[in-house]
Amino acid sequence: MLKQELIAKNPIRHLNSGADGNISSRMGLVISRAGLGKTAILVQIALDSLLNGKQIIHVSIGQSLEKTRVWYDDIFKDIAEGCKLSNPYEIYDEIMRNRMIMTFKESSFSRSRLEERLNDLIYQNIIRPGCMVVDGYDFATADRRIFEDLREMARTMDLQIWFSAVSHQDDQRTSPEGVPAPCHEIADLFDTVVVLEPSSGSECIDLNIIKDTAGNVAGGLFLQLDTITFMIKEGCR
Amino acid sequence: MRDLAKARNIGISAHIDSGKTTLTERILFYTQRIHAIHEVRGKDGVGATMDSMELERERGITIASAATYCDWKGYSINIIDTPGHVDFTIEVERALRVLDGAILVLCSVGGVQSQSITVNRQMTRYRVPRIAFINKCDRTGANPDRVTQQLRDKLNLNGVAVQMPIGLEADLAGVVDLVRMKALYFEGDNGEIIREAEIPANLREEAESKRETLLDAASMFSDELMEAVLEGNPSEEMIRAAIRKGTLSLELTPVLMGSAYKNKGVQVLLDAVAAYLPSPTEVTNYALDLDHEEVEVQVTNNPNDPTVALAFKLEDGRYGQLTYLRTYQGTLNKGDTIVNARTGKKLKIGRLVRMHANTMEDIEASWAGDIVALFGVDCASGDTFTDGKINYSMSSMHVPAPVISLAIKPIDNKAQVNMSKALNRFTKEDPTFKTFVDGETNETIISGMGELHLDVYVERMKREYKAVVEVGAPRVAYREAITQRADFNYTHKKQTGGSGQFGRVAGYMEPLEEGEYEFVDKIVGGVIPREFISSCDKGFHKAKEKGVLIGAPITGVRCVINDGAAHSVDSSDVAFQQAALGAFREGYLKAQPVILEPIMKVAVEGPTEFQGSVMGSINQRRGMIIGTTEEDEYTVVEAEVPLSEMFGYSTDLRSLTQGKAEFTMEFATYRPVPKSVAEQLIAEFKKEKEKK
Repeated sequence: MLKQELIAKNPIRHLNSGADGNISSRMGLVISRAGLGKTAILVQIALDSLLNGKQIIHVSIGQSLEKTRVWYDDIFKDIAEGCKLSNPYEIYDEIMRNRMIMTFKESSFSRSRLEERLNDLIYQNIIRPGCMVVDGYDFATADRRIFEDLREMARTMDLQIWFSAVSHQDDQRTSPEGVPAPCHEIADLFDTVVVLEPSSGSECIDLNIIKDTAGNVAGGLFLQLDTITFMIKEGCR
Repeated sequence: MRDLAKARNIGISAHIDSGKTTLTERILFYTQRIHAIHEVRGKDGVGATMDSMELERERGITIASAATYCDWKGYSINIIDTPGHVDFTIEVERALRVLDGAILVLCSVGGVQSQSITVNRQMTRYRVPRIAFINKCDRTGANPDRVTQQLRDKLNLNGVAVQMPIGLEADLAGVVDLVRMKALYFEGDNGEIIREAEIPANLREEAESKRETLLDAASMFSDELMEAVLEGNPSEEMIRAAIRKGTLSLELTPVLMGSAYKNKGVQVLLDAVAAYLPSPTEVTNYALDLDHEEVEVQVTNNPNDPTVALAFKLEDGRYGQLTYLRTYQGTLNKGDTIVNARTGKKLKIGRLVRMHANTMEDIEASWAGDIVALFGVDCASGDTFTDGKINYSMSSMHVPAPVISLAIKPIDNKAQVNMSKALNRFTKEDPTFKTFVDGETNETIISGMGELHLDVYVERMKREYKAVVEVGAPRVAYREAITQRADFNYTHKKQTGGSGQFGRVAGYMEPLEEGEYEFVDKIVGGVIPREFISSCDKGFHKAKEKGVLIGAPITGVRCVINDGAAHSVDSSDVAFQQAALGAFREGYLKAQPVILEPIMKVAVEGPTEFQGSVMGSINQRRGMIIGTTEEDEYTVVEAEVPLSEMFGYSTDLRSLTQGKAEFTMEFATYRPVPKSVAEQLIAEFKKEKEKK
């Protein structure tokens, strides 16, 4: 399979670049309880952007650079093997030039610090991201203002920003659209919200797209995460 | 036997020129190990006692750490004097690995400088409890309060003053002990007489306030002290115990001050070493049990248990190799047989000595917690010795990879022999110094931690071994490779004079994903006779030694032969080798060759404030930034950068980050050079060829 075919057939395109690949600015959220595959989804979103020629920044809070890197290696390998991609090494080398991982300790992460880093990168023309994924941010202590700023940043920089958030079973609070705590009070700031839930009929994880204000996600779309390969696939109800 | 509770193994680490060698000299004087004081750059030409190497005396810097010991008020103290320059950090790291506590010496004018930051980080890595000594309080611009604040801001240490100066700069008269609330003056020719007095009235208020700060900080580690402070009657013992507890847990750094050069404050610093730094029994050290899948085992410090000792430093002296050992458990007796855990070799302890800079004292035995030296033991730095009853290895030391290489060439045969001896010794002594002979250029390459590091070794070769060498510029080992399949069909025919030569070789070459070279014989029907197949292989081998683009070796190529022709009389081994050589060259240019360059995995570590500059510098050097890791005030930037762009980086990085960042690099892979660089290299190669 060639790279173009892979881009066209990648199921994650519905979430990320849109069916016609023209979604730019957006705030997205993938939320679930711990251990259901949020990082795998963020990495696949980032890989879709990379395959589309965009530069990406992966912000990892509380995870090491090496561990984050291994996520990319493993998932790309699975994609390449799954679709028998021709010249996978070349493509990987090429797209990795456009990826940058920034890892922070939980205690040392702040919006101002992130903004400072992004300015460093953009000002020096090191990277101009089209997509940024933020994994491991603690929403329990989130300040609404931070996300308003980030939303503004996404708009001005024509950037997609995807977050992962951990929900807790014992916290039943939700927003009117059904976005679970701890993100229920800032749910309006996200354009797309995906809730991960174990599928009742199979061993897969369902990606429930509970919010899509821009209407970019095709109606009736049903995506699932394979718990063995951690790959997203188009499921059938 | 050494009373372990009253034993201290300490290091003295700091930025260059903070005066730590002078401080060590004073310590040795006050503990009566030496009977006269010699300054580092003294007019008497003797030099400081710890600077034993000629070069150190000349440059006024400490290069190799020397170990010494002394007694102070019933405490036996082993001291390792460590170098201050960043290029010699392996010495610092080795010292920290075996020490239980350290004195961090800071200059009261310069404050926390880059090397202090590096050393402090190394101390944190090895969990070494430390006390700070703000030296040079007699200098113009001295400001110990500012330095104490820097300890908090720049080093993230909970630095708390346990003293305050009486006067500063030229007026420095002594210190106020904030624990006992007494003024201490250092009198006599060499400050050996300590006069205790009441705190001068003009300093009383400030002293009260600083003591309050000290009590607040110390009471965090003792409920008893906290209660006593509330009741207004904290005892001296209580305060010291709390400070000690905080220091051992690395949550408090007592700050002392004075001027070693002016003989002020050194004896009280020794009191603080005894009071606040741990004994060997208070530090937990682990060994790896080699018989049980390297499970971590806590060493016991018990002199009656099986022996475990670590060789942390080697020196080659007049009487053969001198090996510095730290004993972690058991006892080493003169005449005992010990086993090197790495090699399994048994050896007998002939002479056991206690080092005092470059003089020594013979001893009969060394017990757990001691630092001693052995003579004539063949081992490498980092080796573990046991008595053979157990198979333990102390956890390996962190050895940074060399960052710079140079080609060296002896000027004559005598120098050649001496150079080999010198290199053999240096590589054994210093794991960060590496040497090898480049197979392509036949040059001897030395690599190390920085320009000064290599410079010192080149000088030592000259001085100690009389090996004068010419130093060349470092070179990058380029390679060439093909990028696509190409056919060849070449006939080698020579029929002029003597016996003729004939051979035809046909087939194709293609890129090889893994490995350097592969030869595949697909000849059928004997068109190339069996005996000449290996000749073809030899010919290809010869051809790939030098590519046509820049004369670099060719890597990653598979040569397949599937056709050919031979002549019953004129074909020979040489003829087919020539035919294969010609065939390779014919195919090579059609196979779109490229030049490959070594790519290094580079990690730059430094204060976060410099992250932008560091990334910019990597970007300018054609580097690909993989990512960044931010931890507290430090950031590590990881990148892949062509080796050719890394020369001079240590200097650039230092100037870019005020010397606060350091980097390591290791070989990652070979990658094609960009077109513009390739064109430049090809042009240079042509020019050089024309010259010849």
